[in-house]
Amino acid sequence: MTPRLTTAEPVDRTTTITVHVPAPLRTYCAGASELAFPATGLRALLEELERRHPALHRSICDETGTVRRHVNLFVNTSHMRDRNGLDTPLAPGDVVTIMTAVSGG
Amino acid sequence: MANRVILCIGTKKGLFVAESPGTRRRFALRGPFGAGVAVYAALADTRGTPRLYASSCNAFFGMKILRSTDLGKTFKETKSAPAFPKEDGRALANIWSLEAGDNRKELWCGVEPAALFKSGDGGDSWELVPGISNHEHARKWQPGNGGLCLHTVLRDGNRVHLGISTGGHYLSEDGGRTFAPANRGVGAGFLPDPFIEFGQCVHKIAGHPDAPGRFYMQNHGGFPEHPGVGVLRSDDHGHTWRSISKGLPSDFGFPIVVHPHDADTLYVVPLEPATRTCPGGTPAVWRSENGGGSWKKLALGLPRKESYFTVLRDALDLDHLQSPALYFGTTTGQLWIGRDGGEKWECLFDALPPIHCVKAAVV
Repeated sequence: MTPRLTTAEPVDRTTTITVHVPAPLRTYCAGASELAFPATGLRALLEELERRHPALHRSICDETGTVRRHVNLFVNTSHMRDRNGLDTPLAPGDVVTIMTAVSGG
Repeated sequence: MANRVILCIGTKKGLFVAESPGTRRRFALRGPFGAGVAVYAALADTRGTPRLYASSCNAFFGMKILRSTDLGKTFKETKSAPAFPKEDGRALANIWSLEAGDNRKELWCGVEPAALFKSGDGGDSWELVPGISNHEHARKWQPGNGGLCLHTVLRDGNRVHLGISTGGHYLSEDGGRTFAPANRGVGAGFLPDPFIEFGQCVHKIAGHPDAPGRFYMQNHGGFPEHPGVGVLRSDDHGHTWRSISKGLPSDFGFPIVVHPHDADTLYVVPLEPATRTCPGGTPAVWRSENGGGSWKKLALGLPRKESYFTVLRDALDLDHLQSPALYFGTTTGQLWIGRDGGEKWECLFDALPPIHCVKAAVV
């Protein structure tokens, strides 16, 4: 059974970017498994995320704005490094997925 | 007996809390809290209603501070963790030290890369202490094997002593506003000129409120060409240091602690410098009862052979009961208690994750 997704705000997928939030980080966005808001690029999306959910942003990026080493950001199905990094453009309807790397020990 | 002993045990896989009545016959274990995330620093703050703090050093999602107001039954993240200002260019890599400050909710926090933060509200907000964090030497310090860490924060009235690996010992005599290196006699055996102004690999510093101005240091020793630079003592508020390592099997080690009721009694855990493990595979804590003048091996109950663990810089502590017990944790996940000041050892827990720090408190 697919778990019911929760969002922190109403979603209009035709005009917004959807952000999938992994379970360990949902505590930083009121339990939402996905967020949605407009952004024209990945960098702008992270800036908006910092404004709306600063603790969530801090878990994805360090103080310098660099995406943390063991966090992967996908635009639809492509890793951001295979697109244009933080300069990757976004279009309404795109999905950004936050995933952790399979690193550790 | 009304007293309870609380042990905060920071491990590679989270924080454990062990609790015992004051008899210390049996400890109950709780945790892990912050499960799966390394804990390098813990603090049992017994000022007023006890609070427990721990760093949660998440390799994925960054640094957090955990706080408990119910003696470690539950923990919550504080509202924020230390963070460098955006324009600084540095990013927090680890949290190495949590210490109580002056007033009830004041905390100090030493981090990697070496810098100092202060909180006035029990860890919910933090501000950088610029006197050391932006010191003119700060960009010249080099990381040791554990990283470039500010691991020791010792307060002595208006003086603040800091241990940085590798930066050395820094001293403030104005409450933490300004800092200067104070390393005369502290050798850096890994450099062509071992007696430099700063850049030493200090491992830990300890003091005692009954002996103001006296401090003991476990420095990075183990250099045959510079014998004795590893275990040091200062009697002038850390301005100058002299060796007290004579009689020890090795002057290399990480932790150093002082008996809570006797400023002349201190403890170290000598290790082989090349491997950072117990000399000859035989672990022992060594005690001096005369301020480092002579040393006695304390090993009754500890393994007699085939033990090659490391005891890290914050993994040795004492409780403050009338007859204090010592506690140390190993990188192989054992937690040992040394009853009667370390005269007789017993393993309390033998299969925890690798232990980074142990902090004892009586509540």
